[in-house]
This record gives sequence, C-alpha cells and structure tokens, in this order.
Amino acid sequence: MSGTVGIKVEEHFHSAEQQRETARLGMWTFLLTELLLFSGLFITALVIRVQHPTSVTAVALHLKFWIGATNTAVLILSSFSMSVAIELSRLGRQRLMLRFMLLTAALGAVFMMLKGYEYYRDYVEHMMPFLPYRSYELAADPASRLFTNLYFITTGLHAIHLTIGIGIMLVMAWLASRTGFLQQHQNRIEITGLYWHFIDLVWMVVFPTLYLLNR
Amino acid sequence: MDAKLKRRLRTPFLTMLALLVLLGANVLLGSLFTTGHAWIAEVLIATVMVATVIVVAMEAHKEPPVIRLFSGVGFFWVAILFALTMVDYTTR
Repeated sequence: MSGTVGIKVEEHFHSAEQQRETARLGMWTFLLTELLLFSGLFITALVIRVQHPTSVTAVALHLKFWIGATNTAVLILSSFSMSVAIELSRLGRQRLMLRFMLLTAALGAVFMMLKGYEYYRDYVEHMMPFLPYRSYELAADPASRLFTNLYFITTGLHAIHLTIGIGIMLVMAWLASRTGFLQQHQNRIEITGLYWHFIDLVWMVVFPTLYLLNR
Repeated sequence: MDAKLKRRLRTPFLTMLALLVLLGANVLLGSLFTTGHAWIAEVLIATVMVATVIVVAMEAHKEPPVIRLFSGVGFFWVAILFALTMVDYTTR
C-alpha cells in the first residue's frame, strides 16, 4: 500500500529540500574522494600495461574472464534492483521497497561468492605471488607480479566496498521495516542508492582495466 | 503493477537493458579480438557504460547545478590525471 513520503527536517536546515540537497552533495563529495582512491589504482594498471605488455597478457590469460563478465552483469542487475527500490520509496511503497533492497543485497552476496570462487581458483593455480609459502606460476616473469598484485589490491578494495554496501543495505532494510520510516527518512534510501550505484560504476572500470583489454 | 509505477520503472529498466547490451558487446570484443586495436572500442564502450550510470542511474542530470558542477569537476580532474600520466608514458 502507498503511504506518505517525507523527510524529518533537522533544526539546522531551513527546509526538507535544503536537507535533501545537502545530503546528496555530501554523498557526491565522499564518492569523488573514493573515485580518486580507485583512480590511482586504475592509472597504475594502465602504466604497467604500457611498460610490461607481454607480462600483463600472461597474467590476464590466467584471470577468470567469464567470472568477471558474469559479476559485471550481476552488479548491473543489482543496480536495477536498487533503482526500483528508490522509485518505490518515492511512491511510499515501503514493504515492496524493502523486498527490492533485500534483493539488491542478495545480488551483492552473489557477486562476493563468485569473487570468492575466483580467488580460490587463483590459489589453486598458484597465482598468488604474495604468499611466501606457495610457489608462483609466473615466477619466471618478475614483472607479472606487479599486475597480479595490483589485481588483488584493486578487486580486494572493491570487495571491501561492496561488503560495506551490503551491510548498509541490510541495516537500511532493517530500519525501513519499521512503520512510518518513509514518512521521515525517504532520503536515506536515495543516499544509499548513490553509494550502491557507485560500487557498480567502479566495477565497470575494473572489468575492462584488469580482465578485458588485450587479454 | 499500477500504471504510475510502470511509468517510473521504464527508465531504470531501459538503463539496465542498455548496460547489459554494452557489456555483451565488450565481452564479444574481448573474446574475439585479443590483439590489435579492439581496446579502443572496449574503452569507449566502458566509458559509455560509466557515463550512463552517472547520468541516468545516479540521476546526475536531475541534481541542482552545484551538485552537477561538483560531480563534473571531480570526473574532469580524474581525466586530467589519466591524460597527463599516459601522455608521459606513451611518448617516452
């Protein structure tokens, strides 16, 4: 059933609209600092590609291209699910919104499971050069260590962000299960959505940078 | 599903379809062309995907001017970072 939607105005804001805009500006600012963090890793990957193209190709052939592609599709579906939850929140459809938020978190969990399997395969195939007790498959090519380590740092950092995203989604879903949540805190769903879409956006750069280009 | 909800879900649904089609194109390029200049098309497709998420999914186009300016400047700054670094490494 539809209900009223709104924002509880805090005392230091003039209006709900001002509070909403401030929250969104704050989230965009945070996301841009995150973008700069990931950009450092992306530019490093491109420099390694330019300096050691054959080593990068050797590593890229070991990466699980189809798992990476499947995970991209999973995140696109999760973004759609988040967008649906946001639209439902604007219409005041709290119970249905809750289900789509849980679906979004579940798709995030699917991504993490596939990522975990990918890491397991990397371990089995001796593609973890940072493990001192285990031999490295491409030991004869020292430059390949740079790209392999960068792959783990980048995907690991993304996985940490996604785990945080799943946590936020579950907490928001728990809060939104209370009666009257959308009457006071609808903008929280929008802010959560911005973060989730950003995680999706980062992976859309990770996939071509690490898995796809001249593999 | 009521008409109002259906109308509102049209844009997210079309965005998802567009992103999946673009991903499909990139996967196809990655599978069929492992060398040569396919990377140019792959980078362009990834750029369109990122722009679609920012503008449509994150609704940057609906934001007030100050937020649009802020997000635009942020991505422009990253573009400068990439351009200057790659100009250096590719012209040595």
